[in-house]
Amino acid sequence: MRFTTLLALATAMAIAAPAALTQASEIRVGFTNDADTLDPANHRKRETETILRNMYDGILTRDGDMTVVPELAESFRQVSPTVYEFTLRKGVTFHDGSELTAEDVKFTLDRITVEGAMDGRTSPRKSLLGPVEEIEIVDDRTIRIHLGEPWPILPAMLPFQEVVSKAFVEKVGTDGLATQVNGTGPFRLVDWRRGDSVIMERFDGYYGGADDIAPVGKACVDRVIFKVIPENASRVAALLAGDVDIINDLPAHSVAQVKNNPGTDVVTANGTRSFFVALNTQGDIFDDPKVRQAAMHAIDKDLIIDRILAGNAVAIEGILSPDAFGHNRELTVYDYDPELARAMLAEAGYPDGVDLQLDTEGAYKDVAEAVASLLTKAGFRTTVVVGEGSQLSSKWRTRGGEKTGDMYFTSWGNGSLDPYGIFVPTHRTNDRGNSAGYSNPALDEILDEAGVEADTEKRAALYRKAEAIVNEDLPYLYLWVPQDIYGVSRRLKGWKPSPDSRINLHDACVD
Amino acid sequence: MPMGKLVERLLQLVPVLLGVSVIVFLMMALTPGDPVEIMIGDQNVTAQEESLLRQDLGLDLPLHERFAAFLGNAVTGNFGLSFYHRRPVMDVIAERLPATVELSLVALLLALVTAIPLGVLAAVRKNTILDRLATVGSLLGVSLPGFWFGILLLMLFAVHLHVLPVSGRIGFSSEVQPITHFLLIDTLIQGRFDAFLDALSHVILPAITLGLPMTAILMRVTRTSMLEVMRSDYIVFAEAKGLSRHRILFRHALKNALIPTVSVAAIETGSLLGGNMIVETVFGWPGLGRLVVESIFLRNYPLVQAAVLLYALTYVMLNFVADILYTMLNPRVKL
Repeated sequence: MRFTTLLALATAMAIAAPAALTQASEIRVGFTNDADTLDPANHRKRETETILRNMYDGILTRDGDMTVVPELAESFRQVSPTVYEFTLRKGVTFHDGSELTAEDVKFTLDRITVEGAMDGRTSPRKSLLGPVEEIEIVDDRTIRIHLGEPWPILPAMLPFQEVVSKAFVEKVGTDGLATQVNGTGPFRLVDWRRGDSVIMERFDGYYGGADDIAPVGKACVDRVIFKVIPENASRVAALLAGDVDIINDLPAHSVAQVKNNPGTDVVTANGTRSFFVALNTQGDIFDDPKVRQAAMHAIDKDLIIDRILAGNAVAIEGILSPDAFGHNRELTVYDYDPELARAMLAEAGYPDGVDLQLDTEGAYKDVAEAVASLLTKAGFRTTVVVGEGSQLSSKWRTRGGEKTGDMYFTSWGNGSLDPYGIFVPTHRTNDRGNSAGYSNPALDEILDEAGVEADTEKRAALYRKAEAIVNEDLPYLYLWVPQDIYGVSRRLKGWKPSPDSRINLHDACVD
Repeated sequence: MPMGKLVERLLQLVPVLLGVSVIVFLMMALTPGDPVEIMIGDQNVTAQEESLLRQDLGLDLPLHERFAAFLGNAVTGNFGLSFYHRRPVMDVIAERLPATVELSLVALLLALVTAIPLGVLAAVRKNTILDRLATVGSLLGVSLPGFWFGILLLMLFAVHLHVLPVSGRIGFSSEVQPITHFLLIDTLIQGRFDAFLDALSHVILPAITLGLPMTAILMRVTRTSMLEVMRSDYIVFAEAKGLSRHRILFRHALKNALIPTVSVAAIETGSLLGGNMIVETVFGWPGLGRLVVESIFLRNYPLVQAAVLLYALTYVMLNFVADILYTMLNPRVKL
């Protein structure tokens, strides 16, 4: 072993830092995942989209406050509850120099929504466009999207789709689009080294991006590179060593280390993933709302956020993030009060407490154990059982099938920050993510109504009402929404993390 | 070695591989967790859209039909489409395999060039401080978790000393035209010495991490077998004849002492593949090991099945090669 170490040293000396080769400005992102494919219509992964979104633009996008703004569209309006009209910008070109037309936008949306439109296969992103029925070309700068039923979240969902060139896709086919890029975004593809990196350079013909998001214009840096480093410790090491300028998913326990390092800093954005403990409302213990409320009083969220999550999370009293549309700001806060919890549990018929199991994934073991110890203090004697993600999801997300566990520490993401994407799957009777086995016909009715309500204010009011119901009923112990934590190099300027986890490098510069 | 025996041994591989394919198929299929569910994740999807996706991935068929299709296709080398990449599994694997093979070969080379001299030295200087150090060192080498050791190397050489890169296979400014897909060879063929050094600086830490346990094992094997050979009659005779120490060691003893080393090395090379999964993750090495780990978590059945079969084939073939090498080096042993 000594010899191998010596050998390494000797080699290291001989090679001496191959870095510092760059004259052109370059930003490197140490990123958790590689892209699955470069075809924007043929994946279901947020990380893939984060990479692609630097080369492809959408009809609409979001600004730093998560407000939906036009991007390739110049403007858009709702013509009727089921028809939206989009006017496209003039003079937008693809990376190959061809001009963007309404044909390209129709082709893009058809490719996602029409069955078998991708050389006989159907896009896995179809459901992200809900009841889109037909794309009508009004003139070469105007399209209309026709919906099968009112679906007010269409504008919130369009930023997830990127516009491709019809002529290009017809030339290279779906197979070709998996590895080639011809978008309208600020960067063009140089090389995709599978499993290693995606290298892009500035597209000089870029139209400038959304008017509502300053600065408008070409990208600041010459090259950007997404470098795949899945392991947390290695990603942090790459940042500290100056190999990369941005890393995503900085573990909370490394925050202090990155902050104290002279060349690096930590930045955060409000996340969109809500964490909660599902209580088996079909079981013998948690079928009683009194017991569920008792459990809520047993948990000191602030303590866990402060001590384990290093302060990087915001407590929630319902399922929605405080940033989400329709969030109710007047929900009951269940104060941490283990004595009250114990008394309520006794009142509900368990004077000696109860024995319970809390299922969770390995990644959340620390936090789940903290939750368990707080519960135990209040008479819910809880043991944490760690399982693997997809196995637990089969056990808990049973869609009405019988449930066997007591509690499940889990989460649900909501990139669009529209309640539709999180409230319905987790709370509607027998829906996909309803791990609590919760069923409340009155709530189902409100959710169904809100899903098609076209009036924004009425819709928000419906969701506020829905949150008030679940805040009282507590099928879940609502915990917190963690912040997305990024480590950045101090030479990086102009970049802000975005609440939808996108890493948009258009505005970023380096010293 | 008779040709018939060779063919017979090769034919014996068929049932082994068939067995492996049954096991890997069943294990993936019976592991709880649904690929479609994982793929859709937190999205709101109608039941109809979900069944469409299931149908598209061929997961709507009953288990035995899926197995029959898998076997039928596997014989022709077609393992279907990777659920996530939406491209043929073999294409995805072929992209990542060279990186893994290159890393394994460098690790093997490093292990051999350090383990054999150290093993001989430890045997010759038996019970000296040097021998003790080598013994402790090899114990550490086998016991240190690669994961931990790798990160330690990273922190030292990349973060603190700044002499080696943290991850990847080659720097971003080195564009190399693929010929053999082994970067160390391609860069040399093209006369790109700067790029060669760049690639070498990337491979060195992962190769040391990967090769460490093997180095330790090979060193122990070499030491033991060297000690044994040194005690045998013909060495005593050679000494009596008055041959030089050097000549005895390298002309007579080492040749025979290396027989077990070579066969252990061949078998251990198979286990490098397993170690790759961890090392590739730590060093962001774009190889097959990491791809397989990711695919297992995502229940990407076609890719895991193909990769495991490939691993099994490699392992079985390496054992086969070890057997042949053994009989060639030691004619007293028959196949």
